[in-house]
Amino acid sequence: MRTLFEKYPKEKRYTLSILQDLQKQYGYIPKDKLIELSQYMGIPLSRLYSMATFYKALSLKPKGKYIIKVCDGTACHIRSSKTILDEIENTLGIKPGETTDDGKFSLETVNCLGSCAIAPVMVINNKYYGKLTSSMVREILKEYGGADDE
Amino acid sequence: MKIIIDNIECEAQKDETLLQIARRNDIHIPTLCHNDALPGLGSCRLCVVEIVDKGRRSVVASCIYPVRNEIEVYTCSDKIKNIRRNLLMLLRGRVPNDETIKKLCKEYLVPDRIKFSGDKDEHCILCGLCVKACQELGASAISTVNRGITKKVTTPYDEPSAQCIGCGSCAYVCPTDAIKIEEKDGIRNIWNKEFQLLRCTRCGKPFATKEQLEYNREKLGEAHVKLLCESCKKAIIAEKLKDIYEKV
Amino acid sequence: MMSRTVYVCCGTGCLANNSMDVYKQLKKLAQKYEADVEVKTIVKATGCNGLCEKGPLVKIQPDNICYSKVKPDDAEEIVKRTLMNGEIIDRLLIYDTALKRRVISHKDTDFYKCQMKIALRNIGEIDPANIDEYMERGGYKALRKALFQMTPQDVISEIERSGLRGRGGGGFPTGVKWRQCSKFQNFPKYVICNGDEGDPGAFMDRSIMEGDPNTVIEGMTICAYSINSNRGFIYIRDEYSLALNNMNNALNQARERGLLGKNILNSGFDFDIEIVRGGGAFVCGESTALMQSIEGNVGEPRAKYIRSVEKGLWGQPTVLNNVETWANIPEIIMKGSDWFCSIGTENSKGTKVFSLVGKVKNTGLVEIPMGTTLRELVYKIGGGIIGDKKFKAVQTGGPSGGCIAEDLLDLPVDFDSLKEAGSMMGSGGIIVMDERTCMIDVARYYLSFLSEESCGKCVACREGIKRMLEILTDICDGKGIEEDLELLESLCHTVEEASLCGLGKTAPNPVLTTLKHFRNEYYAHIIEKRCPAGVCPELTAYEIDKKLCKSCGLCAKNCPASAILGKRGEAYSINTQLCIKCGNCIDSCRFNAVKVKKEVGK
Repeated sequence: MRTLFEKYPKEKRYTLSILQDLQKQYGYIPKDKLIELSQYMGIPLSRLYSMATFYKALSLKPKGKYIIKVCDGTACHIRSSKTILDEIENTLGIKPGETTDDGKFSLETVNCLGSCAIAPVMVINNKYYGKLTSSMVREILKEYGGADDE
Repeated sequence: MKIIIDNIECEAQKDETLLQIARRNDIHIPTLCHNDALPGLGSCRLCVVEIVDKGRRSVVASCIYPVRNEIEVYTCSDKIKNIRRNLLMLLRGRVPNDETIKKLCKEYLVPDRIKFSGDKDEHCILCGLCVKACQELGASAISTVNRGITKKVTTPYDEPSAQCIGCGSCAYVCPTDAIKIEEKDGIRNIWNKEFQLLRCTRCGKPFATKEQLEYNREKLGEAHVKLLCESCKKAIIAEKLKDIYEKV
Repeated sequence: MMSRTVYVCCGTGCLANNSMDVYKQLKKLAQKYEADVEVKTIVKATGCNGLCEKGPLVKIQPDNICYSKVKPDDAEEIVKRTLMNGEIIDRLLIYDTALKRRVISHKDTDFYKCQMKIALRNIGEIDPANIDEYMERGGYKALRKALFQMTPQDVISEIERSGLRGRGGGGFPTGVKWRQCSKFQNFPKYVICNGDEGDPGAFMDRSIMEGDPNTVIEGMTICAYSINSNRGFIYIRDEYSLALNNMNNALNQARERGLLGKNILNSGFDFDIEIVRGGGAFVCGESTALMQSIEGNVGEPRAKYIRSVEKGLWGQPTVLNNVETWANIPEIIMKGSDWFCSIGTENSKGTKVFSLVGKVKNTGLVEIPMGTTLRELVYKIGGGIIGDKKFKAVQTGGPSGGCIAEDLLDLPVDFDSLKEAGSMMGSGGIIVMDERTCMIDVARYYLSFLSEESCGKCVACREGIKRMLEILTDICDGKGIEEDLELLESLCHTVEEASLCGLGKTAPNPVLTTLKHFRNEYYAHIIEKRCPAGVCPELTAYEIDKKLCKSCGLCAKNCPASAILGKRGEAYSINTQLCIKCGNCIDSCRFNAVKVKKEVGK
């Protein structure tokens, strides 16, 4: 753990970078690591907690194996991203911000992925899917083992 | 440098805030998040005033606006009154049963019935004074959490904080009495943490937490920290002064 | 045999369409057949030429052929016919909707021909991972010119005279900003690039950072020289992983070549740049919040009564400009302010990059001279509305901007004209909306966006946005009353005047502009209790026009609720009990047979 911290000089301005590294390594920011970081940097825990809840790239809750980000930027919104989101919600039984019980999928909405030309868009673990329709979403989720065969 | 506030000429230093100047000249501007000891938050926006700077009109927050030019200021124009009325309406929507806000609402003619509703037990207007007080004091036990409309003030993980010394500064500076301190049988409860209260060696009244005293000891040294409550401290000083005067 | 280079677009848009597999396959086969060709991946902006939706794109040089929608299976044919024999494969060429035929190069399309590239001059033309390609196209010559032929004052004067205004939103004159900062003799000074592009619907900064990172570095270095700063920061949105990667790589290469770091090009001038990853907060696009974030704090803005040029990052004099602004700098220094001034309008010089998206046929990034009309943008470059539906509005400026209605289509687009129309330039998102877009829903969408993205510090913004959102939600749900509009307007003005930072001050714009231009739509929701666009579920019902229905069954196939019934030869019909009002039927019908009912029976 120390090595993860020590990559950066012990300066306040690197806290966001360290928090992002923690997020990357664990998929979220574990409580004990936040406390450890607070002691290491000499920054009050309340300040770190404030940052961890302010920045959307950071999460205090563990995330699923596959993180589905549905873009709800303006271009996607007016090209019916809501329908895409509904489809995922119905298939996986989770709402944005939630993770399936088996820890496989987390669902999030993002404000713009900058891929408006191929709207509506979603991203599953950095793989982009564009020009989506409800039926495509079903097929894609099946590939990840997410759709039931009812 | 001279500025004109509500047609009154006022002397001003460069970078003094408008609020400072107004208050010195007995011109009333309402505030919630301002505290002379903890200035600079600018979050409640109630202190907005209109200024005219080289012919350009704008609305600024007087508590953080530094004066640099010879400007004209209007602290209660119709526009400003309207803004304050709406801000207070918004605040009442958030804290419907808070007396401080209710009083201000009356003053600024906010109608009794408003469209917005909120949690009847909520008193916090999220001004941030408590967080600032806690930080300045050095304990930094509380902070703002989340952002946007879900922002709130709390301890990390909503759990009793290891850093909190139970000093109550947060509650003391709060403009709406939103932070609960309960004291019973020599125990103080604040932010879900219990503190044992120490008694004043002079009057016997419980007055400070053990953690607070330890914190002060660490900061100021053993010699400067006595087990005396504020009123007893004052009484002792008064007695000393009396002695001196009598001798003179 | 002639030597050819193959560029496979690996921008985000094309990657989503499997361009990486196409690249691998082409590379493998080119080696297998020992063709004298070099296969390169090239990162082009998402939607770079509006052709992203036609991706993956494969460009072949020097023939200037551009293939679209290439599949890995097409690779063999491309290698054998085009690469080895120079033949054109007709079926892979782009079909231009305006010309109604296939074109060999993407540059033959109307979409491309109306553009003028300054900031995007290298995008899609060079490999961003290779600094030499940037230099071959004149890169770093401007820096050399500034360092050895110009004084810092000369540089500032040149930028001032060019009339360049900040491309990030506000439109503050760049040269004036530099001049002000240069006057403070308080060191260190900092130079910042704002790459925290957050406006939904805008992605030009990302495309520049991905596709031409060196131009940003060069622009920043020139500024640093002119204001005497030795340290710069590029703040990049965390979501932009490719941009982060390419920028990092470009910084390293620039350092290796002595274009960055100590004693740049032996001039005695030192300057280096560090990348800071954003944390995922829209408000950090606001300059003071961005600086807070670099310092390691929560990104809460401060009041700008004292400007950043005097007290910015760590309280020191700071120049902050956005990505597109930086990309203009080297060209202005090289070609001169007179050249730049000759482009654009009276008070807005040069070009502006727009991301043209929404319900328009050709979507993508377009760079056009300031003063081009919205009509040209939407109909000529954009090719008109998808499905030739009725145009309703364009939204510019993201959550801080507004909606502009049809009567202003001939508005020449520049900083001042947009502001006059109640909107703003913002970072340049142009979102085209048609009759199927509900303007109340759009206004609500932006407020809902801002309710999450506001830092939440000041009462006006936090509570104001929350309550305006409540009112709009009521209206969309059919619970609105007429008095709401008055209250809404009043709140708008308070939030506008009393908010602490730019985010709050501009937050009411989407509401105010829709109230102004689309008030009838508000009345339709409030009084008639119907949503004319057929978007708000509570106020919508659909019907199928029996005369127009060709009973193709496409609507039924696309209906997620199985609410559409019918059989071949007969008109289809909608079971309103089952209908979830998603609108898939309307959007999929090719004969305009599905209609939004004029009256919603309750």
